[in-house]
Amino acid sequence: MDWRVRRIGQALFTVWGVITISFLLVRLMPGNPMSAMIVELEEQGISPTQARYLVELRLNIDPEEPIPIAYVNYVGSMIQGDLGHSMYYDRPVVEVLATALPWTLFVLSWAAFISFFLGITLGALMAYWEGGRLDLGLTGYATVMGSVPFYVLAILLLVFLGYRYGIFPTGGRQPTGVEPGFNWTYIRGVIHHAALPVISMLVVSGAASLSMRGNSIRVLGEDYLRVARLRGLPDSTIAIQYVARNAILPMYTGLMISIGSMFGGSIILEEVFAYRGVGYYMMSAVNQRDYPLMLGAFTIITIAVVIALLIADLTYSKIDPRAGGGKSEGL
Amino acid sequence: MTEQAVSNDDRDASITDPILEVRNATVKFGMDRGESRVLDDVSIDIERNEILGVVGESGSGKSMFASAFLDAIVDPGTLSGEISYYPDSGGEVDVLGLTKSELNQFRWEEIAMVFQGAMSSFNPVRKINTHFVETLTAHGDTVSEGMERARTILSDLYMDPERVLRSYPHELSGGMKQRVLIALSLVLEPEVLVMDEPTAALDLLMQRSIISLIEDIKEKYDLTIVFITHDLPLVVDLADRIGVLYAFEFIEIGPANELLEEAAHPYTRALLKSTPNLTAPVDEMRPIEGSAPDPVNEISGCSYHSRCPMADQRCEVEDPGPYIVDTDHDVHCHYWEEASEAVPMPNDGSGTETGSPDSDQPISVQTPETRPRWAGENPVLSLDDVEVHFEATQDEGLLNLFTDPETVRAVDGISFDIYENDVVVLVGESGCGKTTLGKAAVGLERPTAGRVEYRGQDVWEAKETGGDIPFEDIRQSLQIVHQDPGNALNSYRKVFSSLEEPLVRWYDDLDGNDRRQRILSMLKHVGMSPPEDYIERYPHQLSGGEQQRVALIRAMLMNPDVILADEPVSALDVSLRVEMMDLMLELQDMFDTSYLFISHDLANARYITEKTDGLIGVVYLGKLVEIGTPERIINDPQHPYTRALCWATPELLTETDRTDDSPMRKIDIPDPTDPPSGCRYHTRCPEARDVCREVEPEMVDSGTDETHQRAACFRAQENHEYWTSESIVED
Repeated sequence: MDWRVRRIGQALFTVWGVITISFLLVRLMPGNPMSAMIVELEEQGISPTQARYLVELRLNIDPEEPIPIAYVNYVGSMIQGDLGHSMYYDRPVVEVLATALPWTLFVLSWAAFISFFLGITLGALMAYWEGGRLDLGLTGYATVMGSVPFYVLAILLLVFLGYRYGIFPTGGRQPTGVEPGFNWTYIRGVIHHAALPVISMLVVSGAASLSMRGNSIRVLGEDYLRVARLRGLPDSTIAIQYVARNAILPMYTGLMISIGSMFGGSIILEEVFAYRGVGYYMMSAVNQRDYPLMLGAFTIITIAVVIALLIADLTYSKIDPRAGGGKSEGL
Repeated sequence: MTEQAVSNDDRDASITDPILEVRNATVKFGMDRGESRVLDDVSIDIERNEILGVVGESGSGKSMFASAFLDAIVDPGTLSGEISYYPDSGGEVDVLGLTKSELNQFRWEEIAMVFQGAMSSFNPVRKINTHFVETLTAHGDTVSEGMERARTILSDLYMDPERVLRSYPHELSGGMKQRVLIALSLVLEPEVLVMDEPTAALDLLMQRSIISLIEDIKEKYDLTIVFITHDLPLVVDLADRIGVLYAFEFIEIGPANELLEEAAHPYTRALLKSTPNLTAPVDEMRPIEGSAPDPVNEISGCSYHSRCPMADQRCEVEDPGPYIVDTDHDVHCHYWEEASEAVPMPNDGSGTETGSPDSDQPISVQTPETRPRWAGENPVLSLDDVEVHFEATQDEGLLNLFTDPETVRAVDGISFDIYENDVVVLVGESGCGKTTLGKAAVGLERPTAGRVEYRGQDVWEAKETGGDIPFEDIRQSLQIVHQDPGNALNSYRKVFSSLEEPLVRWYDDLDGNDRRQRILSMLKHVGMSPPEDYIERYPHQLSGGEQQRVALIRAMLMNPDVILADEPVSALDVSLRVEMMDLMLELQDMFDTSYLFISHDLANARYITEKTDGLIGVVYLGKLVEIGTPERIINDPQHPYTRALCWATPELLTETDRTDDSPMRKIDIPDPTDPPSGCRYHTRCPEARDVCREVEPEMVDSGTDETHQRAACFRAQENHEYWTSESIVED
């Protein structure tokens, strides 16, 4: 079978696995969310039958149905995009998350791509002046900052740049009192609000520059570089098409994986900055014991990571011709 | 020093129209241990339109010599001396005095270079076409005109220009990449081409094919070629003059044929003798004792004196200046006139050796007892109709998701047996499936069909369901020695830990001291002494030959019945190969094992099989096309492919004895995903007829009672319809 078919199959399998696990968590665990929700509603003075009915409605699970049938129904509604009904916000989970997801993606993609390009540029320069002052300084910086948890930094940034100096807003995701729309004030406000979360992720991401540095140094020792120089190619061609291009290849999949880990990090980050993204809602769902929202956010994040990795794998052969169409060379 | 100066003038006399003059070229590296000279005061002239062969072992400074012409010594090396270049248009260029931009123009336009590592000489993410275009633009040439030239050169090198230019480097075979690299170096029409081991990574068939192409290319494009190699017989064919480098300086320079017949330096003679080939008696092949000097140590006197059988007091003190053997033949040896007696050659014109009993031996018929093949014993390892097919993924495109992948038939129905103390050598070019076959034989690659039996027990059955012989025992009995010892040893473990591993794993009864003793005695046995010193070393602190010995001992300590040795000597210098093979045979006697050898070199195959009465099996595109005793395979090959392999093996023959025409119609091996119908060799076979295209020939016996030979060719059968079939060889 073609590897792409296999790869897509694997991705689907992962998503299915996540959905199944979430179902099992809800349904089979002792003290499971379902009974917890029923008890909670009963405490609010709702009759047990009523409570049960409400819970079914919100979780897409009918406790009276035998497990296999309930499972099929649950998966069926998941596939149709019905993630249940949030108890705290009293809206469908899909709706809550759909308004939050773009904001998270906005912050994450900025953080990921700025750190990636900054890392590549710095890493390339570090490799070029290997052993020089820039190299030593940045290596030290990246090592130290790589071990600082970003949320610690986020709190520091918030304290200084937000509260003390008031350069950046201390919370929220868009400017207040401005009509959302495609106008400069609004866009500037949005960027202004996203700045602190992006910066706190950026400052600690030294990993990209370090691996770029290592990769570039490896490429600098390759034979083809020597041949290129002897052929008299201009330095800019050698730097971009020969060194950078080949050094970036191993980092491409890493970029996509880092998006996944950033999603995980966004939960705390968005809480710190009161930035209403997927992570923020997930955190509040945990605090409010809003199980449908929690499971929904969990599923969405998983699917997002799976899709990012799938895209990375499927497009890798586009940037590296050696991947994928590996003919019969390995004989 | 005055002597040197005088002789330089003398040398000028034999060179009438020099294109390059090198004077006192020295390359120095500052190292922790002191300054090392990796090119020591070399002076040489190169005649316009000649092919100069430069021969030297690894570490003789030959790559430095090559880089010096382009002033391209890698940092932190420094080049001093004088290099003058005289272009056709007249004038003189002082190569070392050029500015950076002048040098950028000079390189590739006047002198171009072809490297050994064609595999890694291309940017893997750019198409071949881009490589040509960027070179042309960098030198301000018209791209359309230049590409027209590139296409012509590519077709001159027997490649399809359109297909090659469209490809990415990894889509081409090693031989094709090397030829593309030659084309790339010629695209700016340089006058001099420096080739540094351009064929070392290729199999012999491709080497030989490229060598014959170089001759044509040289004529057509009016080139001067400096061809650098460690392989003397290879370059003898090609070069007009040969210079022998030893310890960073030339020790002998002369016309190729003269050097071959009357080499004056004892080192050149020893080098000639150490080279495995097809004609010289195997007992005449001798390794060169000792090792080349360290570049850090300043050598007084002759650099070869520590290894030379004729060395005396004078050699240790006095630097042998060039002595003139002939107008164009110089040698750096005080006693060159006596060298022919001190280091006799088997094919010295004297004729004394040819009639000696020594040279008769390999042809002499052995007694049947030493040939278990006919004694009706049970084989240790038996392969029965083994097939290994791989799935190959195909070209990109998200749309063809559901097409069936193509199958590579790496091994397609091969049967043979290996007996106790037996040696079988599989030969064939790269990509013919010999390594996959070897791995299948020792149970490392699961055959997709057929059986691999160890003493009658199916190996894979034993692994899965258990059998009479436990799989653990089979695993222990079938071992492997890889081609590249540097990669086969864990670079973070000392020799001792690497060697202790098999003993700890398989011999519970040995305590630490026993293990240590055993390892020490083995190391000593293979000539690595003092062993106490060697066990503390890491692999990178060993030479290539020493690494291979460690890898070999590691396999031997398992006490195996069969060792798969995958090209065990091809990574070594030619002069070390005989020594390594001798050692392997000695260990075979000691440990009672059998070898399954894999080689692309018929000369090595012949050496090892003649010494052990083994068999040579010739593999082509997943099929065994011929198998037999070495004397039959080499003297009377039945299959045309075997004949091609014999042709490709470099011979120490003078020009008159050589045949230059390739016995193959095509250079490149067909695509293994789509092997030719009928006889797989019919697309390249010079004898192919109509029937070969349709019917696959079976193995037929063509040996005698005393010899063994089977070949899969219709020509081996007397009354076959082949003889009345029509030839499909066009021209």
